[in-house]
Amino acid sequence: MKKLALSLTAALALALPAQAQSKYPERPITMIVPFAAGGPTDIIARIVGENMSKTLGQQVVVENVAGAGGTTGITRAVTATPDGYTIAMGHLGTFSAAPATYPGLKYDPINGMQTIGLAGGTPILIVAKKAFAPKDLKEFVTYVKANTDKVNEAHAGVGSVSWTTCTLLKGQLGVPKLNSVAYRGTGPALNDLVSGQVDFMCDQIVSVAEQIKAGTIKAYAIASAERSPALPDVPTTKEAGLPEYQIEAWNGIAAPKGLPKDVVDKLVDALDKALNDETVKKRLLDLGTVLPTKEERTPAGFAALIKRDADKLSPVLSAAPKQ
Amino acid sequence: MSEMFANLGLGFSVALSFQNIALAFVGCLVGTLVGVLPGVGPIATIAMLLPITFGLDPVGALIMLAGIYYGAQYGGSTTAILVNIPGEATSVVTTLDGHQMARQGRAGVALGTAALASFFAGCVATVVIAALGAPLTKLALLFGPAEYFSLMVMGLCFAVVLARGSILKAFCMIMLGLLLSTVGTDLETGQERMTFGFPPLSDGIDFAVLAMGVFGFAEVLRNLENPEARDVVRAKIGRLLPGWSDIKQAAMPVVRGTGIGAILGILPGNGAVLGPFASYTVEKKIAKDPSRFGKGAIEGVAGPEAANNAGAQTAFIPLLTLGIPPNAVMALMVGAMTIHGIIPGPQVMTKNPDLFWGMIASMWIGNLMLLVINLPLVGLWVKLLQVPYRLMFPAILIFCSIGIYSVNNQPVDVAFTALFGLFGYLLIKLGFEPAPMLLGFVLGKLMEEKLRQALIISRGSFMTFIERPISAGLLLVAVAILVIALMPAMSKKREEVFTE
Amino acid sequence: MSLNKIEAAQGWRIRSTQDFAGGLFMIGLAALALFLARDLPLGTLRQIGPGMLPKSIAVICAALGALLSLNAMRYKGEKLSGWSWRGVFFVLGAAVVFGLTIRGFEIGPLKVPQLGMLVSGPLVVFIAGLAAEDVRLKELAIFAVAMTTACALLFKYALSLPIPLAPWLLGI
Repeated sequence: MKKLALSLTAALALALPAQAQSKYPERPITMIVPFAAGGPTDIIARIVGENMSKTLGQQVVVENVAGAGGTTGITRAVTATPDGYTIAMGHLGTFSAAPATYPGLKYDPINGMQTIGLAGGTPILIVAKKAFAPKDLKEFVTYVKANTDKVNEAHAGVGSVSWTTCTLLKGQLGVPKLNSVAYRGTGPALNDLVSGQVDFMCDQIVSVAEQIKAGTIKAYAIASAERSPALPDVPTTKEAGLPEYQIEAWNGIAAPKGLPKDVVDKLVDALDKALNDETVKKRLLDLGTVLPTKEERTPAGFAALIKRDADKLSPVLSAAPKQ
Repeated sequence: MSEMFANLGLGFSVALSFQNIALAFVGCLVGTLVGVLPGVGPIATIAMLLPITFGLDPVGALIMLAGIYYGAQYGGSTTAILVNIPGEATSVVTTLDGHQMARQGRAGVALGTAALASFFAGCVATVVIAALGAPLTKLALLFGPAEYFSLMVMGLCFAVVLARGSILKAFCMIMLGLLLSTVGTDLETGQERMTFGFPPLSDGIDFAVLAMGVFGFAEVLRNLENPEARDVVRAKIGRLLPGWSDIKQAAMPVVRGTGIGAILGILPGNGAVLGPFASYTVEKKIAKDPSRFGKGAIEGVAGPEAANNAGAQTAFIPLLTLGIPPNAVMALMVGAMTIHGIIPGPQVMTKNPDLFWGMIASMWIGNLMLLVINLPLVGLWVKLLQVPYRLMFPAILIFCSIGIYSVNNQPVDVAFTALFGLFGYLLIKLGFEPAPMLLGFVLGKLMEEKLRQALIISRGSFMTFIERPISAGLLLVAVAILVIALMPAMSKKREEVFTE
Repeated sequence: MSLNKIEAAQGWRIRSTQDFAGGLFMIGLAALALFLARDLPLGTLRQIGPGMLPKSIAVICAALGALLSLNAMRYKGEKLSGWSWRGVFFVLGAAVVFGLTIRGFEIGPLKVPQLGMLVSGPLVVFIAGLAAEDVRLKELAIFAVAMTTACALLFKYALSLPIPLAPWLLGI
């Protein structure tokens, strides 16, 4: 009986034919999202992917492969066969911060993968509990520096966007050892910020905008070049007196290195078409996303962005007291 | 009060449109299906169906997704009762007495009781959300890390009461569950803990993997060993639906379970998982003859099932009133809302009253539909038990394998489940109960996280747990439960024969 | 099996092999955990390190295990019963085969191609089915094919989960 099963396996294994690569795409494309479904990256992937399916003429299937701050999914995607049928939607953390955060990382975002383009940027805000003493960003900076032992910062776990961006902030303020309270995800962290258990955190606009509008928490500044139309009253870090703190949590598409040129072009074109589509645009803008520039939608432009942020984050993250 | 009725009126006018009723029905049907299939949870399904809802209006989309969510809760109990596999943490308790009832030929009664209890709890919870949603929000904000830690300690004391045999062995299992929960990347420092350097373990052990291994696979192994035991299930099929005496026996547990579940469901950080455990503990403790529990007591199904469903519904309160999701499914609902241009926040109720009240009204409609869908299915499910076991368990295996694979799309998870199957078989051989271990596992992660948060905020002072009144109160309850549980054990140690 | 004073006075010997082995099992697992967590810092109460909980829980586990083993020498209890290797081998083996073949796998020199559900499905049903003592091969083979078809329709089409069907044949 065992023999039968084994020989069956062997026979089927031999029947494996090679795949022809003629007219891409001939079958559904898997877009790996390295996070659980429903998060900001997943939503952007699904919005963009749905439209890309129309252009490519084949379904773009989102597959959530969560784990290790998104690095599990990206590893699977960029080590797949470079045939264009496996691509990944990563973000600031998995492409720029991961090399400095995860010493044993199995991929190289700078040299070891084929970038396709940026899908959108999400502004980062510095927010605090309603009753936190400082009134504006300048006071906040002075207060935090003077009361390192009293202040509690919240973040959504090592490797998360809120942790990455807040570590950058703490590094720039010269208070890397501030008390930091780790939560499992943005939701619980935000809950304790609203109820005043912790003092401040940094997070993406989509998570905090409604709370700011409702006045349950307050925002000191937005770490982008311009104010967000969703929160026109929140000043930029430049206006509020901390110009060096500039960071966005962007999402972008990458594929395994060695992808044929025509496949890359088709994917870049599909992404560009998706981002020009009115419905997609509206959905992304509703999320507080900043649409990428023409340059950022190209493989080279996106690669430059990954490198720029990696250079900015690496020194702070490597020095961060996480171990 | 009149305002509430006006609001509910608005809600029903939204939810009772033909399209929304149809969507609620589809959601409940799909939800029941994925709930029954072991492994494929509501999370994977809601995620897959998100793009389909693009074309719908936001209210309709959310009604359908919510239907999947509570449909899955219903369906999960079916699997727990029929084949002893808890799909989610909340149905672990249902396996204890529900599956025993099935073994005694009372599967139909167990399923019917679960459906009726859930329906009652769902109706009450809907009213609770409508009437008290806004004020109850404050409860979620009263719970900081210290309170939450004490709540978890209380929950672990419930696990002691869950034990069917030796209390010492139950303690062993709770601690083992806690130990397993610490596997994976440390949240505070990002360091890998006890992962053997194996990447798939870096996010810890998945609940579905552990539960399906120690319950599902191990149960198959045990049944293969005792052909007599498994045939009991097929031999007698009693009455299909609960009779009057069953209903009388189950009524009060359902009421109590609903209350317990509704309160715990509101708490942030997935307090709902405690509901069924708490309800079971209460029922076992106030029962005239606690020894019936674990051997097919109907109260052990009715109470926890009510608590489960009530908690599943009131978990919407923090989402709808605060805009903060209390668990993974609710986080996905946030995603669904954002896709439709509604960013959840404290203002949803005032800014989108039709969405808010429409969803609440649809919850009641959904519960009614679940009853309509599920009661006729009871007969079908019971018939399934008559499939010869030599075909039943390979079917369980393929469903479990595909289900586990699709949780994270990780093939290695299936192999891990097999490993935990072996582990569970070993536990059976050594006379350990897996249920307390699963509770320890579920609570362990939260407990460590909250303990560390509380101590960072209090700068290392344990006094924080006693100084804060709610936390102190919860700890007192925990001590009381422990004393009550240990007293009889001390006095009549091992009087009871430990039987499987 | 009630607590019997005379019994307890009869001196120390293993009276319940099941509990005794259970205690050793707990101690063994605790030792493994302590070994794996040996390099994790304990931290301080103010800033609990990653090693604090695993190590303290492991110590408690070991203590409970020791207590269980000691009790097994004082009170009578269940005996250990035999293993059924047939079930363990076929049932768990079936799941492992599914995990190895569904997406393909590479462990060192062993390379398994990505076979997809149309192959992994019948394999898991068939191999698992061999565990039953009353197995009927023909019936099982038909059942394996039927179950796989049903699962493909259910998971791939009704629920549209991203599970590979047969990438080598259909491309999906």
